[in-house]
Amino acid sequence: MNILIMLWKNLRRGYQTLLFPAHPRVTPHFRGLVQFDPELCTGCAVCRFRCTSRAIEFKAGKGEFTWSYNPGQCTFCGRCVEGCTEHALKEGHVEHALSQQEAVPPIYTVQGELKKSYTVARRPPAPKPAPAVSPVAPASAAVASTATGGAQ
Amino acid sequence: MTLLTALARLLIFPGLLFAVPAAWFFLWVERKSIALMQGRVGPPFMQPFWDFIKLLGKSTPPRPGITGLLMRAWPLIAVSAAAGAVGLLPVLPSSGGFEGDLILLLALLELPSICIIAAGFSSRSIFGEIGSAREAALSVSYNIVFLLAIVSIAASQHTFRLEALAAAPNSPLHWVGVLAILVCLPAKLHINPFSLPNAEQEIYAGPMTEYAGPELAMWELSHGLEWVAGTGLVATLVAPHIAIPLGAAWLAACIFVALCVVIVLLLSALAAATARLAIDSSVRFYWQCTLIFAILAVSSAILMRIRS
Repeated sequence: MNILIMLWKNLRRGYQTLLFPAHPRVTPHFRGLVQFDPELCTGCAVCRFRCTSRAIEFKAGKGEFTWSYNPGQCTFCGRCVEGCTEHALKEGHVEHALSQQEAVPPIYTVQGELKKSYTVARRPPAPKPAPAVSPVAPASAAVASTATGGAQ
Repeated sequence: MTLLTALARLLIFPGLLFAVPAAWFFLWVERKSIALMQGRVGPPFMQPFWDFIKLLGKSTPPRPGITGLLMRAWPLIAVSAAAGAVGLLPVLPSSGGFEGDLILLLALLELPSICIIAAGFSSRSIFGEIGSAREAALSVSYNIVFLLAIVSIAASQHTFRLEALAAAPNSPLHWVGVLAILVCLPAKLHINPFSLPNAEQEIYAGPMTEYAGPELAMWELSHGLEWVAGTGLVATLVAPHIAIPLGAAWLAACIFVALCVVIVLLLSALAAATARLAIDSSVRFYWQCTLIFAILAVSSAILMRIRS
């Protein structure tokens, strides 16, 4: 009997799905499109490694690299943003100055239509830290670096 | 019934010219109502028609080891049988018919099911074979009840002529028989909870797994025609007995379509409210629960006949 009541309620409430290409409403917790800042990116490609839906592509070249993001493939899981230690990737929800309209999952009709690519020049490597004075210091520095790597 | 009347009934009304658009319409009503009950938008009005056209335009991929003639013949036989069954329905007043047309209708209603079983086995697909085996088991179960229900109605009126049955006054026994036919219709039309012969996402499409293009279009059409024939049979049996003059045949047609749509909505609500039963549960349902009910109906009909 409960199922019949449920069906009647559904009939009275109307449909909840939308016809293509209507934009769905997003919840406040929706992460939105990934925003990329080429100025901060070091080209470590951790984001590509963490992206299980293969929305992020990375091509390394001489002196530069190409970073591509296809929102049509993105599941908005946020793992790339979480893994970016340089904060070059940000979630594009309302907190990041995007309107609700801009934050909704994109609509596309052709495969790869929404794909954006950035070619970024590699920054020179950071200067090596000065040699430690005490003999104990290098061991502690190595431990710290491993811990940081593990956190990624 | 003259040859001209028979041809008009078979080809124009309620035959092919009416039945094919009605089949698409009923398929749309079923899909749309189930979607609305599940909170979905559902397909647009013309969707079943465009599905049919799209399938007609597709080519069938080659299937090694499968003879083409049999695979092409089964859907055509199913469509012809279902269209013939619709053509026999006494929708219009004084539309003719002959003694024993009810038996022919039952045979024609059963033919699509037999074609489905044969098609599944001749496709040499494991999914087709499983679907066909399920269809055969289900067919054996629900057909006993279905035939007993029809026999009880016919025995109570002392006739096997459809027009006489449709015009007969509705007795309680008549309603018991109609109810038994309604119980069998979900299994005959392969909808939930008896959708196991073509169980989607379980055995792909069952007997239709190997079908594509125009042949699949014919299967879809035969399924739609089965809807028209099945619901039409119940509609003609429950239609109110009002004196309709021959000039106002459109009124009889409208009453028929309206009753069919009500039955389609009822069956759709059942399909939306239930989940698919396993084969043993389905067979048990028909053999244990419904068979007793149908036997009671037949015994009452025979008793009534002896008394009268």
